[in-house]
Formats: sequence, structure tokens, C-alpha cells
Amino acid sequence: MKKSLLAVVILAASIALVGCTKKKKDIGKVLHMPVPMAVKGFDPIHASDKYASDEIGKVYEGLLQYHYLKRPYELIPNLAEALPTVSEDGSTYTFKVKKGILFQDNEAFPGGKGRELVAADFVYSIKRVADPKLQSTGWWVLDGKIAGLNEWRKENSSKKVVDYSSVVEGLKALDKYTIQFKLTKPFPQFLYSLAMPFHFAVAREVVEKYKKEFLNHPVGTGPFQLTSKFNAQTRKITYIKNPTFRDKFYPTEGSEGDKEKGLLGSAGKKIPLVDKIEVSIIEEEQTRWLNFKKGNLDFNSIPKDDFANAITPSKDLTPEMNKKGMKLHIAASLDVTYSAFQHTDPLFKDNKKLRQAMSLGYDIKKVNELFYNGTAQPAQSIVPPGISGFMPSYNSPFRGRDLEGAKKLLASAGYPEGKGLPEILFEHIGTSPTSRQMAEFFQKNMSDLGINIRLSSNSWPELLKKIRTRTAQMWGIAWGADYPDAENFLQLLYGPNQTPGANGSNYNNSEFNTLFKKAAIMQAGPERKALYEKLNRIAAEEVPLIYGVHRTSFVIAQGWLKNFKATEFTGERAQYLGLDLDLKGKLAKEF
Amino acid sequence: MNIWVYILRRTLYVIPILFGVTFIVFLLFNVLNDDPTYQLLGKHASEERAMELRKELGLDKPLYMQYLDVVKSAVTFDFGRSWKSKQLITEMIREGAPVSLSFTLPGFFISTVLGILISLLVAYYRGTYIDKFVVFVCICGMSISSLAYILFCQWYFAYELGLFEISGYEYGFPDFLPYVSLPIIIWLILSLGPDVRFFRTIMLDEIYQDYVRTARAKGLSEPYVLLKHVLKNALIPIITYVVIQIPFLLLGALLIETFFSIPGLGGILVKAIYDQDFPVVKAMTVFISVGYIIFNLLSDILYTVVDPRVRLK
Repeated sequence: MKKSLLAVVILAASIALVGCTKKKKDIGKVLHMPVPMAVKGFDPIHASDKYASDEIGKVYEGLLQYHYLKRPYELIPNLAEALPTVSEDGSTYTFKVKKGILFQDNEAFPGGKGRELVAADFVYSIKRVADPKLQSTGWWVLDGKIAGLNEWRKENSSKKVVDYSSVVEGLKALDKYTIQFKLTKPFPQFLYSLAMPFHFAVAREVVEKYKKEFLNHPVGTGPFQLTSKFNAQTRKITYIKNPTFRDKFYPTEGSEGDKEKGLLGSAGKKIPLVDKIEVSIIEEEQTRWLNFKKGNLDFNSIPKDDFANAITPSKDLTPEMNKKGMKLHIAASLDVTYSAFQHTDPLFKDNKKLRQAMSLGYDIKKVNELFYNGTAQPAQSIVPPGISGFMPSYNSPFRGRDLEGAKKLLASAGYPEGKGLPEILFEHIGTSPTSRQMAEFFQKNMSDLGINIRLSSNSWPELLKKIRTRTAQMWGIAWGADYPDAENFLQLLYGPNQTPGANGSNYNNSEFNTLFKKAAIMQAGPERKALYEKLNRIAAEEVPLIYGVHRTSFVIAQGWLKNFKATEFTGERAQYLGLDLDLKGKLAKEF
Repeated sequence: MNIWVYILRRTLYVIPILFGVTFIVFLLFNVLNDDPTYQLLGKHASEERAMELRKELGLDKPLYMQYLDVVKSAVTFDFGRSWKSKQLITEMIREGAPVSLSFTLPGFFISTVLGILISLLVAYYRGTYIDKFVVFVCICGMSISSLAYILFCQWYFAYELGLFEISGYEYGFPDFLPYVSLPIIIWLILSLGPDVRFFRTIMLDEIYQDYVRTARAKGLSEPYVLLKHVLKNALIPIITYVVIQIPFLLLGALLIETFFSIPGLGGILVKAIYDQDFPVVKAMTVFISVGYIIFNLLSDILYTVVDPRVRLK
């Protein structure tokens, strides 16, 4: 017994001893970034979620990117020499690819040395998105948009091996550095699609060498490269600076106020500004927050339940945070939350006044206070601030709360004090406490009007199924921008996009449809802006959805982190971030 | 019966069990479940894309052919790739299982040994305040949610006192040790209560047997009686309890791994069910079933080792 006890004590003591040892110290400028979700892999054609896109954006690049500092978001050339020349009818785009760009070194290339990027790489990369065998989650972007690409996809779907050599009319490398896209019809959002990771350049040799394991062997032209093969189970991804990265420089101009915030301090400097990045995949909010407060992460969003500990009522950092030199970054997100009506249900389809009454009876200010710590912006309509089509001074007449007005509308809808109105089923995500609490709040608000709401708890797949099969009567959901264009939000109400398309509520209004169809193919300009605003106003006054909020991101960065700017499109951000190691050393005692 | 014949016979049980398990999983996911393609395609799904994806995943085949594919993968242990992440499932298991074991195995070993020792101690002091105190502590410990332990230990010992890493993991020995120390301690806290209560019951069952009275009558000391007689005779239920837990150690611990960002297998099955990632669910179910059968067999064999009177039939 004594021996066994001794063995256990020794084992326990050694665990405690080793446990107390500290991990290795950083050498050079090492950026510590958090990711709240597991990264699936590094194949750009499957970069459908924000977090995979962020990691892919460190290694791979596209023809275009968003300007790091300018707002509203502005596209600038990245691997392209310049913005494209566009034909008069808006259907042909011709790009010149920058010369001398090298893929990162990899044994897939002769001698292990990365070769030069050429226009044909984009032809190949975009064909991969259309490849029916690969089932890219990004195919929706170019589906039906590039001349001959859908036909190419269809031809190859029955073949055993996809033929990449057959020419696609609308996707050609005219010479080594020139690529031409011919669209089936004008598609003004096309340029945004080229800044999406789905269409970033990959090298055919690398794809063919690693085959299905390509997703774990990223080789791009980007500023960073992985230190080893990607392991999908990992919770830490380490990148080092790409030694063959071209001369790319920090922007010399930004938005108003950027200079004062020190965001132009690195203007004109060669990027990336750090030697190494350690990305920690931490799914739990509490764990991320503790790591950040301990100085193990360079920035982090604030957990909902810790908001009051970090932010004062005047939306500043608390003294404790200030003492540690931390900085607060607030930015509006390009999104909208809403409660949807099922428009195939005659109860909602034929009764605009009922929808308006419910919207007016919903206390959105209280929702903002209770569930977003008062940081969000109550949505007046579907288009979020920061993009053309948003109307800053517009206030929807059906936003409130105006209980008396809502009751009047309900009476004129044929249901005075809710009498005669059948029970309405509201679907929510049962696994999320916040979703459940929000649903209960909605139920309470509606009961004040005399409307009886029954809540139905779902898993995410169950809710998706109910939306798709049109059996959900009402449900709560949100939409985040794929690109900064109002079309991406207004399409949620476009009739032909009904389920299983993005218009899950199956709203179908002929006036809206006609205007949307016209606006969707117009180039940006005052005329399109006016149309977007008109559509946005219809979306507010017809109340096809009860709008919630446009969320705001509250991110705290460590004092030593330089050039941090909140952005919706974070893929390229890491290359612009810098570190003040002297300040980090001085602030270390505060942690 | 020859032990090898017994092992062979029990190994053959794997076949009907695998058929049963794969059939139930297949029924749940491919017949009763909703079409997974829409969830896999995300917010831009369309009927046409869903149809293409169904074809690519083999979901357009007749049901019996789909089931045969499931059986084939279970027999060959070739589960293909995850529908969600496109990663090779065997690779996911190969990478994740050792990581889970790096904290579950030491935690399990220490808690089992400590549990047995404490249960012997309380059996020795049965009915006294020491016994009552240990039982009280065990019940209190078991009444608190595992989440509370995790949140408190992570905040207090790792964040406030800085004794441990808050989260993370490094591959390779001994680099992983700083990251698994606190998870092991939490595992111990979580396991000791139920372990001690269970082992104590076994020890107390044995301690009133005639042979114990005889041993004491022969003048043997109490520690000798406990260690040489009581413990040895209590080993059969202990083996059943302990060995059968081993395959589940490979699966890690969902909450501990999530909160400490440990890249193990904890939660892989839960996430796969949530994502409707059928190949992963299939692989993990087969994996657990086979592990369960193997360790069940192992515990049967161990019975014959600890008690020569036991015969395998």
C-alpha cells in the first residue's frame, strides 16, 4: 500500500510541478490572434465561413481586396495590376495580373521553389469552384454569371475525371498576365466576388500533388505560410512570414480620423509587420476572455456577460482596462437580425396590418438593452449602415414600441385585442440561451397586444428544415453580408429567391421584384442608390419581416497592438498589424 | 474451454453487433433524418445544388446500397472523409485520440488508484466520523456541476494564481504537460466522488464475508486483511467498472476539452450529430462499439486471472 501511495503522490507532484512551468517565450514579433471556431481546412473553394476565410486570407490572395482603412469599404487591386477595364455593356472584365508574384516554396514545384503566378492560375482556381466533383460552397457566387461556366460544369458532372483543359468562353487567360471574364449579363457585384476567398489563386501543381489532402497543404502567394502541414484537430495554427512575399506596403491614406488614431503610423512600410502569427482556436468565450486579460491574446471581443466589467455606461473602457493600456474599437457590423413571417401562410401573406401591428408592438429598444448591452442599432429596415441604400435619417413608422398604435393596427387588421387571431408558433434555437430568452421576450411583447405566441424549441438543423419545408410560421434569424452591397440584403425579399433560396420567408411582392431586378444589374451610382433606397423603404413599410438590430462589434486590443482597425472583411488584416514590443515589456507587470 | 476459442467466439460477436449498430445509425441518419445537404450547403443552398451534392455523397443511391456502403466502411475501417470538414476521418481520430488520452488516462489511473485506496481506508474506519466525512465530501462533490469546477479552477488557479496555463496544447512529451495538469486535476475532482462511493460499497460488501472473519480470527492485522483478502476478492466488480471505462477515455471529455482548448476527440460525436456529418457519426459509433467489445472481452479474461475459480464458457 505504501508503495502505491508513494507512486500516486510522485505522479501527482510531477504533474503539479510540470504544470507550473511556463511555456516558451516569443522570439521576434509574434502576433497572438483568437479564433472562436475550429478551422476546417485551407482549400479556398470551401471558405464559406468567416473563420476559414480569415485563415485562408493569410496564405492565399485574390485579384482584389478591400482597402484596409477606408470606409465605406473600397475595392483595390491586390494581385491585379489595377482595377479591370470593363466593356461598355458592363459584361466583360479584363485584368492584368502583377508580374513577378511568386507562390510560396513547396516541393510540388521543381526544385521546391515557388513559381511565378500567371493568369492561367486564376482560370484554374475559378474552374475549381465550378468543378462538380469538388462541390465548392462558393459556387453560388458565380452560378449562372460567367459565360460557358455552367455548361462546363454540366458537361463535367457526368465525366469521371473533370476536364480542366476545355475552354470556357467567359473565363480565359488571354496571355501570360491577362485574364478576361465575360459575364452572361451585367453583374455589378462581380468585383466583390473576386475579393472573396473562394476565388483566390491556387497552383495546379500543388493541388495535383496533394489531391484530397490539398486542404492541409496551403501554398499561396500571401504574406504568411504555415510552419507545418495543417492538422484539422489542432487548436493552434502557427504562421511565419513568407520569405518570398513581394513588396507590398502599408496604405498611406485612410478614412477620416485614422491619422489621429495612429492608424497611419506605419504608412508606406513594407508589410507584413510581424514575423510570426499564433492563432489560438478557443471556442469558449470565457477562456478567450481570460487569455486576453492575461495578455496571451492581442485582441478579443467582449463576452456579453462581461460587458459591464469591461465597458462603462458611457461606452469607454473601465479604469482597470485602461491601466493595462488596452484600447476599445467599436464598429458597426454589416448585418441585420430579424423575426421572419411565413408568407405562404395566408395569415401573414394577406394581412399587412397584422405584420405592422406586431412590428410596432415589439420593443426593440428594450431588446437592444437586454441582449446587446445597448450597443446595437435598432434596424429600421433591412439594409445595414455603412453601405449604399441605407437611409441614416429614415425612421420606419412601424418601429416602436407604440403599444396603442399597435393595438389600433391590430384592430384594423381584423383582430381587436387579438380576438379571433389563432395562436402563432414561433421557432427558436433551443440550444442557445440567448435565442430562447429573446423568443420569450417576443412572446411577452405580443401577449401585451393580445397575441398568443407559442414557442417551439429547435436545433439548428431542425429550424433549417422547417424553413426549407415552409412549415415554420415565424422564426428568429440573422443575415451577415457576403459583400458590402445592399443587393446582398435586399435579395432576402426577392420573390424568385424563395426557399430553398435565401428568401426563407417566401415574401413575394411584384413591385419589389421588378425594382430589385432592375437595381441588381445596375452599376453603382446615384440612380442605383435611389432604387436601393426605394426598395429599402418598401422593405420597411410592408413589414415582410420584423427587423431586430444591426449589431455593433466591441473589440478590445492590447496597448502594444498597432494598426488594429475593426473590419467586416478580416481575411487580409493580419499583414497590417504591428507590435510595440517595448510597450509590451513595460505593460507586462500589469498582467 | 480453451481461452483462445473463447476469445475467437467473443470476437465473432463483433459481426452481429456491428451490423446492429450500423443499421441503427443508418436508420437514424439516412431514413428518419432530414436531408443533410441543405445544412452542408449553408445559407446559399438551392434545389439544384442540393441534388448535385446528394449525388456526390451517394445519397441518391437506393437505401440498401447506401447501407451496404456503411457496412463496408465499418468492416474495412475506411470511413472516408467528413462531409463537413472534408478531412480524413481516420486521421482525425489518429490525431485526436492520443491527445484525449494524454489527460484522460493519467486522470483515470490516478482517480482509480486513489479511489481504491480511499475506499479501503473508509472501509477500515467504517461507521466512524472519518467514513461519514468522506461520504459527505463525495456527495457534495458529486452534487456540483462539472462546469462549475471547470470555470472556477480555470479562473482561480490558472488566471488569478497563474499556476497553470489557461488553455492550449503542445504536441509531444513533455511539452503537453503544462497544458493537461489542470484538466487532470479537474478530472480527478470529478471522478473521485463516484469512484470512492462505488469502491466503498464493494469493499463493505466484502468486509462482512465469512472469509474476512476467519482471517481476522487467525490474528491477521487489519491492513493485511484489507489488502490481501478484501481487495483481492473485490477485484472482479472493480475490473468490470474500470476496464469498461477505458474505451471511453479515447473519446476525451467534451467540456474539459472545449474550455481548455485541448485538440482531442471530446465532442467530435456531438458536433458531428449537430452538423449531420454522417461519416463521422458512423465512424465514431463503430469505433466505440468495437472498443466496448474488446474491453468487455478483456475484463472477462482478467476475471480468470484474478480469480482462478472463474471459468470461461
